[in-house]
Amino acid sequence: MTSPAITSAKPPATKFASRFDRFQVGLLGLAALAVVGTLIYGGYLLTVMQLAMIYGVFCIGLNFFMGYTGQASFGQNAFACIGGYGSAILCVQFGWEPLLALIASMVIAGIFALIIGYPTLRLRGHYLAMATFSLGLITYDISIQWTSVTQGYMGYAGIPPLGIGSFTVDSERWKLVVLAVILGFSFWLSLRMRDSRFGRGLRAISGSENGAAALGVRVPRFKLIAFIVAALYASAAGSLFAHTVGFISPEVYGPQMAVMTFTMLFVGGVGTIVGPIIGAVVTSLLQEVVRGSGHFQDIAYAVVLLATLIYAPKGLSALGALFRRKKEA
Amino acid sequence: MKYSKAFILAAALSAGMAATASAEDIVIGSSLGLTGYGSLTDAHWRDGLAAAIEQVNKQGGVLGKQLKLVTEDNKSTPQQAVVVYRKMMSEDKVVAFDSGCISAGNFAAASFVARAKLPMFLCSILPRQPEEIKWAFQFLPPPKYEVDTRYQYLKEKTQVRKIGLLADPSPYVTLMKGIAEKTAAEFGLEVVASETYQQDDSDFSVQIGRLNAAGAGAVIMLGQGNAVVTAANNIRSLGLKNMLMLGSIQELDIHLAAGKVLGDQYMAPSPLIQLASEDMSILTDPKARAAAEPFVKAMKDKFGRSDNAQASRAWDSLLMMVEAMKKAGTTDGEKVRDAFEKLGPYVGAGASYNFTTENHIGITQNPYVLVSVKDDKLVLRK
Repeated sequence: MTSPAITSAKPPATKFASRFDRFQVGLLGLAALAVVGTLIYGGYLLTVMQLAMIYGVFCIGLNFFMGYTGQASFGQNAFACIGGYGSAILCVQFGWEPLLALIASMVIAGIFALIIGYPTLRLRGHYLAMATFSLGLITYDISIQWTSVTQGYMGYAGIPPLGIGSFTVDSERWKLVVLAVILGFSFWLSLRMRDSRFGRGLRAISGSENGAAALGVRVPRFKLIAFIVAALYASAAGSLFAHTVGFISPEVYGPQMAVMTFTMLFVGGVGTIVGPIIGAVVTSLLQEVVRGSGHFQDIAYAVVLLATLIYAPKGLSALGALFRRKKEA
Repeated sequence: MKYSKAFILAAALSAGMAATASAEDIVIGSSLGLTGYGSLTDAHWRDGLAAAIEQVNKQGGVLGKQLKLVTEDNKSTPQQAVVVYRKMMSEDKVVAFDSGCISAGNFAAASFVARAKLPMFLCSILPRQPEEIKWAFQFLPPPKYEVDTRYQYLKEKTQVRKIGLLADPSPYVTLMKGIAEKTAAEFGLEVVASETYQQDDSDFSVQIGRLNAAGAGAVIMLGQGNAVVTAANNIRSLGLKNMLMLGSIQELDIHLAAGKVLGDQYMAPSPLIQLASEDMSILTDPKARAAAEPFVKAMKDKFGRSDNAQASRAWDSLLMMVEAMKKAGTTDGEKVRDAFEKLGPYVGAGASYNFTTENHIGITQNPYVLVSVKDDKLVLRK
């Protein structure tokens, strides 16, 4: 779970171009091209890319906690669930504006993360992983059983699309544009945080908690803030799903979401800057590539993912290091 | 090496082209939970559609064109359902949907399918937005009938007056549970306890123990799938020899497995076609028999042994859709929908239907009888 950023002998980068190697810039360019290509081509790939953008936002947050801070969390879907149901209930039941509902849900998710994270983050390693996993399961169960609030498996329908005032984003192409802009903003924000004093503290914790504490980093506080940041991103992703699809039910935010986003993060590169975005786009598109294999699509999907993890264990965005090493040699 | 790569690419492209529909075909889309919790029921729904399409094409197709079925696996999740519905609309250019029993998946897609003015014929319950209901038709019997069949039996044939409910949280069952709680008194029954479970739970001893402690003489199981076999095993291992178990509508194999465990203690509602597949004489209504015979023959020819409870309604939904297309003289979604609403009473293989402009839940008469298992076969419970 080591962040490449803290193992580098180079001083922290300050300018945009020097934060990335050419390979990562190339990957980001390819992801942008995929979005532009989808906007031109249209069709159902618009939906696939919309979901990829939403999962990208989720994974950027997850990367903060798992990648930069080096902590394990299998329960971030709990906060996506709060975001999704928060948006749905506030918009459908109380007629709130979608943007306002999204922000309010993020605040609620943040408060929950603070309350839950304070005792939970005293745990480490496998214990923390199990605790966060159970958090996801509990939230999933509540979303099923608390039918008077969540409507259980019947789900929430008629959730309005994103918009401000009388302007709503109805067209599928515009939805993708808006989601891509939100992903870009989330990415920029994560870069700013990563290179701040806070971000450097997180990466120090990832390297050695004792070492970081010796250097004056308030480890528990930093971990808690990272957990809250990840929860805010997850909540935003949950809300975006609700406003993009217009329907949510417990399955959307179930354990499958935790597995899916985990896979995306590892395929893209956990602890890397562009990994969350690349992982979300590649994994989403991969499902469509293997769809043609009919009954064998799950097997084909698993084989490709396994091959990726075996031959690129640090994720696709870290592959550039291979070429650099060859050059240096 | 370069040549072999080029060859593989060319082969893949040509295979892809061969798989796409001809411009002359009428394409029907189906979003099915072929993996995940809906796989058991939706695979049968797909089989019924495939048999019906083959039958229609053998008879010359519709409006001078052949029908083509495109099925996509929604993995029993709403997010995948959204993707596959959109895929079938934009890539396969479907003119209508005939989709499986994953309610949440159909709900998630209903808004944009309605906006595209494509009719949806569903194995699941209807979506709840009025604009979406206009385009959706339910081939699933209303949950009330399942409840009534069981309560009627308890009232007329047994001394049991205290019952316990054991329900999963799926949308269809949630509706059914509400009805079961509300209507018990009408049959002189009292719901003394109500327990829930998850579809993938592997033991219900605790819930069944609580129902027994509350004085329930019968467990009304509300939910489909293997859970009923688990519950049957739990009742037996708890030694509750006097407790009756009344399951939900199920796949044939599940009925047989639960019946094998509990014997006479197990019974469940079932459409007549599930029994008639073995013995056609059970269908005494000549119209129902005339509708069922070609279906049973087509299924036996295509699949050998088959389970016809879900497949029969899939068959009916497709034949009725074809009827509406013929009546409308076009595959235009709006005209097909309007023609479908005017089809009038229709006796199908799985049930009788009566869709109208106001009523998009087609089954308006109870299609169920109560069955139990004897000698590895379903028999009418008397």
